[in-house]
Amino acid sequence: MKKPPREEPKEDLTVTPPKTWAAGVPAVVHALEYSLEQTSPRETAVDLLTMNQVGGIDCPGCAWADPAPGHRHRNEYCENGAKHINDEATTRRITREFFREHPVSELARRSDLWLNQQGRLTEPMVKRPGSDHYEPISWRDALQLLAGELKALASPDEAAFYTSGRVSNEAAFVLQLFARAFGTNNLPDCSNMCHESSGFALHETLGTGKGTVSLEDLHHADLIFLVGQNPGTNHPRQLSALEEAKLNGARIVAVNTLPEAGLRRFKNPQKPRGIVGQGVQIADRFLHIRPGGDLALFQGLNRLLLEAEDARPGEVLAREFIESDTSGFEEFAEHARQVGWDDLLAATGLTRAEIEAVRDDVLRSERVIVCWAMGVTQHKHAVPTIREIVNFLLLRGNLGRAGAGACPVRGHSNVQGDRTVGIWEQMPDHFLDALRDEFGFEPPRPHGLDSVNTVKAMHEGRVKVFLGVAGNFVRAAPDSDFTEAAMRRCHLTAHVSTKLNRSHTVCGGTALILPTLGRTEKDLQAGGEQFVTVENSMSEVHTSHGKLKPASPLLLSEVAILSRLARHTLGTTPDLPWEEFEADYGAIRDRISRVVPGLHDFNRRVTRPGGIRLPNPVNEGVYPTATGKAMFTRNSWEMPQVPEGHLLLQTLRSHDQWNTIPYTLNDRYRGIHGSRQVVLVNPADLTALGLAEGDRVDLVSVWDGGVERRAEGFQVVPYPASRGSAAAYYPETQVLVPLDSVADISNQPTSKGILVRLEPTG
Amino acid sequence: MKTIENTVAVSVPLRTAYDQWTQFETFPRFMSGVKRVRQQTCSVSVWVVGAGPLRQEFTVEILEQAPDSHVVWRTLGRGDLPRGEVRFRALAEDSTEVGLLVELGGRNLAGALGAVPGVAERVLGRDLTRFKYFAEGLGEATAGWRGTIRGGHVQPGMPEEAKSPTPTWPMG
Repeated sequence: MKKPPREEPKEDLTVTPPKTWAAGVPAVVHALEYSLEQTSPRETAVDLLTMNQVGGIDCPGCAWADPAPGHRHRNEYCENGAKHINDEATTRRITREFFREHPVSELARRSDLWLNQQGRLTEPMVKRPGSDHYEPISWRDALQLLAGELKALASPDEAAFYTSGRVSNEAAFVLQLFARAFGTNNLPDCSNMCHESSGFALHETLGTGKGTVSLEDLHHADLIFLVGQNPGTNHPRQLSALEEAKLNGARIVAVNTLPEAGLRRFKNPQKPRGIVGQGVQIADRFLHIRPGGDLALFQGLNRLLLEAEDARPGEVLAREFIESDTSGFEEFAEHARQVGWDDLLAATGLTRAEIEAVRDDVLRSERVIVCWAMGVTQHKHAVPTIREIVNFLLLRGNLGRAGAGACPVRGHSNVQGDRTVGIWEQMPDHFLDALRDEFGFEPPRPHGLDSVNTVKAMHEGRVKVFLGVAGNFVRAAPDSDFTEAAMRRCHLTAHVSTKLNRSHTVCGGTALILPTLGRTEKDLQAGGEQFVTVENSMSEVHTSHGKLKPASPLLLSEVAILSRLARHTLGTTPDLPWEEFEADYGAIRDRISRVVPGLHDFNRRVTRPGGIRLPNPVNEGVYPTATGKAMFTRNSWEMPQVPEGHLLLQTLRSHDQWNTIPYTLNDRYRGIHGSRQVVLVNPADLTALGLAEGDRVDLVSVWDGGVERRAEGFQVVPYPASRGSAAAYYPETQVLVPLDSVADISNQPTSKGILVRLEPTG
Repeated sequence: MKTIENTVAVSVPLRTAYDQWTQFETFPRFMSGVKRVRQQTCSVSVWVVGAGPLRQEFTVEILEQAPDSHVVWRTLGRGDLPRGEVRFRALAEDSTEVGLLVELGGRNLAGALGAVPGVAERVLGRDLTRFKYFAEGLGEATAGWRGTIRGGHVQPGMPEEAKSPTPTWPMG
């Protein structure tokens, strides 16, 4: 165990060639190294050996599904999961003395890395108006202060309640119940910023907002697309599923602007071939696509499939399925045939031969799955892109049957579950009706604010109180300077958190830190030891039991904090059983079972090994869409104009990072060490820009509106990024993402497609 | 691949025989080689089969299914893997013919069973007879799935089954 750093870590940038494989022995070494820096060998052993096991701790690191009970490894976690869980289980503590020593203004100058490394928060703290210090406050006073501010608002819509995906189903349900009983649907969440585009596209075309595949489907697919995702870093356990698929004979097509190590080869450290052998090749084909070119790629593939059907009628398309289960095929086909190859090739940066080779892969494959992540969802035309992916899957009947389907790969561990239990600013009337019938009050019906609109409302003074439950909203939201100004304009900001982050330091006039239990910790309430439930990317709802002693006796669980806040704010109007909820989370699950479809008999079923698999209507041949069938759609795109001397920037995470929190300054798969202030650019683009390796530049975002957005002090690194693109780390470059630069329909920030220029600084 | 066929007359109505057969998770109660079945979706189930200390898991996809008529299935994976079909035919009001056809082969436990002359035939014949006594002993099927599957795609059977009890709003 190492002490927290007193000074900012400072290292010189060194660059080594990017790795060509992921995981292996180095993954084990790095995971243990970081774990033992943070906590004791005993606690490391307890949390790692129970992680993702039946009756154990669900890894908060990502939302990838666990293998079925009986099929899990003794060590069922990845390097980044181990780092993440021990980052939470750290023995470092932040006390009241720390806050006495460090004024808020000083903390606001600290890096994300430094703040996180200080350790766990241990007691409630308040920063009062005009003060530059957080000071201790009792739970009662803290929650009364927050409740008082809420009650003093002119309208409930002057408050916003943000949820991050770590929050359990139980806490999320209590939060949305409280917000709606208080009178607002202002429930922005991290989904607004990561997979909102997937939700809108899938809901429209298939009638479900969720992915349609299971792990077994992946294992038995013939062809898997990995589009705009980096499994080696962001969901490494997906690599095990891909390995199994490969061993079963699957082919994999990776579509990315960067040749990420995890797309190339995987050395499974749980198997001898991953330790001493070459591992398994992941991608059989790598399409080095331009940023945002995915819609054009799938449109090209769809056109080629239609033409293949013309050449061999009845042999290529799933005609019977299209007839019986879909709508809009003729209009789609007419549109797809008109797409010009010159446009397609310009948009993708690929050759026609490359796309035709993928078509041949498709024609040889009976079962196809398309996986995607934020490389797809964070573009202006993300929703049409995902609709086009659905078109692609529908053409050959690759939806609603074994080994085939749509797989949006989500990041946060319970981001999907939070939505399931009602965290959404636009929940449909039938959910609100069920809430009304169960609890006897009339929930507000007007849609609330999503994340982007919450920032705007705070900036304009329309939202005055912000409560963040988990997460780091200030850093996760786009347009950092604007978002920070918005937060500072609030009367009060409060955060339910395990660790210190920038959202505590860039705050409203009054600020509260409400420290909470982590996923790893035992949760003892009046009704005994509690567990929580979460839902993974594949719609499996299961339990998570904390195992470790809490970081402080003064920590309250998220459910306890929210239930107490609700009591202080609402009193008995409406009269809801907040105390019962806090004492026994089973009482919350009982209510969920009567409000959320599919979670009936929740308490009994969720404690079965493996939990509950929520059915996907698509796999039952049901499409709750406007037409009652799976919908083909016509999609158009407009590629961003990139003037000479400019690049399209994507923000991304390093391998040593979880969401907004970097663990070190290294990104070993990409060969970046000692600095995060780098911009990765194709060598040919660097030459064209007159730049060379190591040059220092500012990144300047190009956007209408007269506001200059600048990220200062970056070093140029030649990197095999696709031509015309650049990549730099998130959240440092969130400052460059204009708040109004959002995906059509979903309002999701377009963090993978920002027009920038690089200004040399000498 | 080795093909094995067998039929048995079961003294229950056609619908009862069919409905009982579609309760796959009950198969270990009458099929000696089936140790555990986990139904994943209407069309996919995971079967653990075994003999002595040996166990092997197969993921099975139903390709075609029609109520009171037939179930056609295959094992997912590469190479020669078990596949088969079962057909139902009413012999009388209270009597149903259940016809089973199974193809075994490849380097797996079921294939090994099929490679030994006469063994697979005996095992399947015995298990089919056990199904007969099981279905007749119960006399009724407590539940049954009445949907249709064509080309691996599920088509819900009853209007009420079209209402999937699951959240359908967008998930971010």
